[in-house]
Amino acid sequence: MEFEAHEIRDKIQINYKYSMGGQSKFFIELMKNKKILGTKCKKCGKVWMPPRVNCSDCYEDTDWLELKQTGTIQVSTIVWYTTSAFIQAIPYGIAFIRLDGAETAFNQGIFSENLVPSKVKKGQRVRAVFQKERQGKMTDFFFVPEEEYERWIIKPEYEGGE
Amino acid sequence: MKKRVAIIGIGITPFKARYLDRTYFELAYDATKLALGDANKNGAEITHKDLQSTVYGIYNELFERQFMPDIYINSYIGMNDKPGTRIAAGGATGGYTVRMAYAEVASGLSDLCLCLGVEKCNDCYDEQTGVTTPEVLNAIAYSADMTYEYPMGMMAASSYVSMVNAHFEEFGNPTEEQMALVSVKNHGNAMKNPKAQSPMDITVEDVMNSRIICYPFKLLDCCLYSEASAALILASEEKVKELKVENPIWITGVGAANTDCFIGNREDMGRLYSNIYAAKVAYKMAGLDYQNIKAQIDLAELHDAFSGQEVISYEELGFVPFGEGGKWIESGGPLMNGELPCCPSGGLIGCGHAVGATGIMSTGEAALQLRGEAGKHQVNINKGRAISHSIGGPGAAYAAVIVMENEEVQK
Repeated sequence: MEFEAHEIRDKIQINYKYSMGGQSKFFIELMKNKKILGTKCKKCGKVWMPPRVNCSDCYEDTDWLELKQTGTIQVSTIVWYTTSAFIQAIPYGIAFIRLDGAETAFNQGIFSENLVPSKVKKGQRVRAVFQKERQGKMTDFFFVPEEEYERWIIKPEYEGGE
Repeated sequence: MKKRVAIIGIGITPFKARYLDRTYFELAYDATKLALGDANKNGAEITHKDLQSTVYGIYNELFERQFMPDIYINSYIGMNDKPGTRIAAGGATGGYTVRMAYAEVASGLSDLCLCLGVEKCNDCYDEQTGVTTPEVLNAIAYSADMTYEYPMGMMAASSYVSMVNAHFEEFGNPTEEQMALVSVKNHGNAMKNPKAQSPMDITVEDVMNSRIICYPFKLLDCCLYSEASAALILASEEKVKELKVENPIWITGVGAANTDCFIGNREDMGRLYSNIYAAKVAYKMAGLDYQNIKAQIDLAELHDAFSGQEVISYEELGFVPFGEGGKWIESGGPLMNGELPCCPSGGLIGCGHAVGATGIMSTGEAALQLRGEAGKHQVNINKGRAISHSIGGPGAAYAAVIVMENEEVQK
């Protein structure tokens, strides 16, 4: 007997009101004051970005520390095929950026007027651009090549930082 | 005292894009039945009622449309009223599951343990594009850090390519052409593996011309997600003797490590540090030398989710010095007739990636090679020793390496 498959449509969906816990200050400062805060271990002095309120190396507390909004691309890629949540946004750039004065790099969106590998490669100097409407999330800001900064911050939906 | 542990049964279903005729628990049953049949062919005379415990390798609840999928498998395969433990470690789920099943037997908790991996991803469906893949990728992308990474569009390929790009910046290796050679090799090896999803006779040019996914990965540099299950039956030495099993394959080394899932926190971003730590632990346990490992094994079933990552693994697993992985594939080192055949099964690029099942399949494939029963993709077995390798998770944070030996080396 021939096999006949039966398929059903279904979805799993959960809503959250997620607390950012000890990291809350980072997101509040980002949203209200366009500041990018890292943390510095009270004992070893390591600067964490993304911030951690505890140093994972020393098991000591950290202090908040305002970071520069300029930095350097450590590594990047341009995405041309992706998840259902982002497929409408292709192509988009992702980079690991080390802010000036920080020791760790973090993942952030990289925008450019000319999004090609040579524009977003290692060593490229970048600067943070902020959304005018901020929600206290990582998507409140992104990076652009330093030489494009002035042209990005005059767009109606964006603004410059401090 | 630690018991010696052998693989006595191997069951692998075909890796396919989709099983419309099987659910994940039905697929799990299939591999279990195959593994029991294989053990019995080697003289064991056992049924599922003789198995004392199960370790389940299942990566993603969202694929299965079910949280705690292991308990539904446990019921379906008739393992009620015995312990079953689920392992989830991203792409390395299979290797980690073998490790925990090994521990179950080596510790004396069980003398006969089922190590069972299954995944069924392509029931995910993206309504906007009318295909499965973007939704499968989204189900995986929830493994990225939900605060700092997922909102930027991070997904599996962009995470791995970041490390490969950083490795290239540091060593000038692997180049796009060198990565393409991995794709040609693994798609080609799969031509001789009847269970493989993506057998293809292709050229470097075909890979270079395939469409860009995540710069510089192209479509043919990436494995496809699969549906499949794979099972191993592990037995203690006493049980091997009691059952008079022929052809036991002894697990002599297991190593695993979770490195920092935040790539940006690592000292060098072009490293999959988990590889290095897992390999060193596994080799040491097996009495092997990291510096000379290539001369001590007959084959390696590597985790080639992406071509460039296999090249880095040649270096990090100790086959060649750092920066020389690309040159090694150019010289034919990891080919079927090369110095050390890597992924004779076709690996993930050739077979497909049924995440929880993959590392169990690759361990089973390596064991079949050591028995001389791999079929048309059999390699020469001179040393009687092989490794399997699993890596996965955000930033390839998890890795596991398993060392196996056949009866001849053990004597």
